[in-house]
Amino acid sequence: MTPKVGLIANPISARDIRRVVASANSVQIADRANIVLRALAALKACGIEEAVMMPERAGIAGHVLRGMERARSHGEDRFPRLSFLPMPVTGTVEDTRRAARLMAASGDIAAIIVLGGDGTHRAVVGECGRVPVAGISTGTNNAFPEHREPTITGLAAGLAATGQVPARIAFADNKKIEVSLDGGAPEIALVDVAIVTDRFVGARALWRIETFRELYVTFADPEVIGMAAIAGLIEPVSRSEAGGLAVTLAPAGTAARRVRAPIAPGLIEEIGVEGWRRMPAGSVFTPALAAGAIALDGERELFFDPHQQVEIRLVDRAFRTVDVAAVMRFAARNGLLVSHPLAAADA
Amino acid sequence: MTNNPFPLSKDELLAAYRTMRTIRDFEERLHVEFAKGDIPGFVHLYAGEEACAAGIMMHLTDIDRIASTHRGHGHCIAKGVDVHEMMAEIYGKATGACRGKGGSMHIADLSKGMMGANGILGAGAPLICGAGLAAKFRGDGGVGITFFGDGASNQGTVLESMNLAAIWNLPVIFVVENNGYAESTSVEYATAVDSYVDRAAGFGLPGVTVDGTDFFAVHEAAGEVIRRAREGGGPALLECKTIRFFGHFEGDAQTYKAKGENDYNREHRDCLRIFANRVTSAGAVSEAEIALVDREVASLIDAAVESAKGAPLPSPRELLTDVYVAY
Repeated sequence: MTPKVGLIANPISARDIRRVVASANSVQIADRANIVLRALAALKACGIEEAVMMPERAGIAGHVLRGMERARSHGEDRFPRLSFLPMPVTGTVEDTRRAARLMAASGDIAAIIVLGGDGTHRAVVGECGRVPVAGISTGTNNAFPEHREPTITGLAAGLAATGQVPARIAFADNKKIEVSLDGGAPEIALVDVAIVTDRFVGARALWRIETFRELYVTFADPEVIGMAAIAGLIEPVSRSEAGGLAVTLAPAGTAARRVRAPIAPGLIEEIGVEGWRRMPAGSVFTPALAAGAIALDGERELFFDPHQQVEIRLVDRAFRTVDVAAVMRFAARNGLLVSHPLAAADA
Repeated sequence: MTNNPFPLSKDELLAAYRTMRTIRDFEERLHVEFAKGDIPGFVHLYAGEEACAAGIMMHLTDIDRIASTHRGHGHCIAKGVDVHEMMAEIYGKATGACRGKGGSMHIADLSKGMMGANGILGAGAPLICGAGLAAKFRGDGGVGITFFGDGASNQGTVLESMNLAAIWNLPVIFVVENNGYAESTSVEYATAVDSYVDRAAGFGLPGVTVDGTDFFAVHEAAGEVIRRAREGGGPALLECKTIRFFGHFEGDAQTYKAKGENDYNREHRDCLRIFANRVTSAGAVSEAEIALVDREVASLIDAAVESAKGAPLPSPRELLTDVYVAY
């Protein structure tokens, strides 16, 4: 029996205010279903016989099942068996968390393919334990999931899950940042934690640059967009190196240095930067701002008042992802997807 | 450090709460009064959805037009229509906003930019395109907002209006108040693709989805789409995921809802409770100030019901007045 692969496709990512204040796209439900079908076909091509998916009520599952039925009616055997987790559907982020929790607890899910943005991936990582994640970008800023054709992500997940690629090559360790209020259970961020002067959650996204004050990132890549882009443009830090970066921000009019950074799709703004320093794993950082909102991976999630204690801490080797590039290189070098039918016939 | 962390002043926060509280008490009282049999016609109550109307309407002035729905009491109150006149209208009295001839589903007050509740599903969308076109020609910066539910979103009039608004680049906002049910049919069953943002994208409109039980989420997102429309950026869609505490109409047994759903929503998703907890815990508004608004609104609703009950019915001689418009 081959291992199973889990699929979590968030139907409500990429729906926030950045479609109005920036030029963010909205990946339509039918497109998300099509991405799931491409990933499923890739899994089957690698020998995965069974996949398990998070149920939802927004239409992705219906489109996927119709696509699989069409293939079957044409006599095509392109997809693994697909089942849905037995769980209630709330239409909220709790569905993603519950699905990741159930997949991790099942013990027979070798990897989870995730469709969503940074927020969706954060919800999965918070619950999936050591089960590796293969991310596909269908969100807004998407600094965490690498931009890649989903078929390739599906192939890599399949090759990794079936053990055709050794785990030491197939899976990569990743950093995260933990944020706790008054010593409570920490919330996590996979890419960035931003401290802003707003003290309410509201429409969640960050775009009013005059409110930006502090930024903590697990990696700083000049090729991503969002808050992490600010750090990436002043001192790149790779996903694989230890530690992150802490950046002090200020209104552009008063700052010693300004960075033109793409903080959302099509939205390039001048951000004031006062300074930055490395953020070693395990060290506790405390915001200088007395009260404000805390944005996790680009969305305001928490707010804190002057009497509250905020602790920010980077954790190395926090969770695993499928290293798609490494898997595909290994597959090519070792001919994992190459066959020699004529040679077999000659023998 | 100020005690007000919100994007609104203390007076504005109290005004927002007063609007929501007025809508809630108005609807809760109608729920009681309708059962007594004194109110003619049907009423469709807005309780549970108050943050949508209040969060959006705070960005509007009397030059801005709104086109409402059969569930329009909340829109009327938030747009500034007189509560006494509304109550009298619902009781069918001569002192009503439309002299007692419109009833619950046809309350209008053009002086406030309220073009009318509307008994026809999806009918507000083309009307607001007309209002938007007028505002564009006048160049006065006015915007038009049309409200509709998840059920009416499937009406051709709504889809045609999105297309019209897009090609004419009208200052119009399409607000989907998605309370999960089209009468008794769940949105998952009745809507092929359960994303109104996707629909907007089909017409080239940007769309935003917000938690309609969170006043601040609605207020912030509405502020951006309305500002964009005023500045000539064109139409947009705003989906507010919300709930309704009562049935589709008064008398609806609500057998299509899950057991305990209304109780859960009142306990955990009550937009007034969420708002009051947040502003008082932050110290922006005191509990005493909230309680004072509660008392004042309760008195207002008592007085509105009393005066509506005591007001005269329209005279039979006025049967045909105000019914037809001569151009």
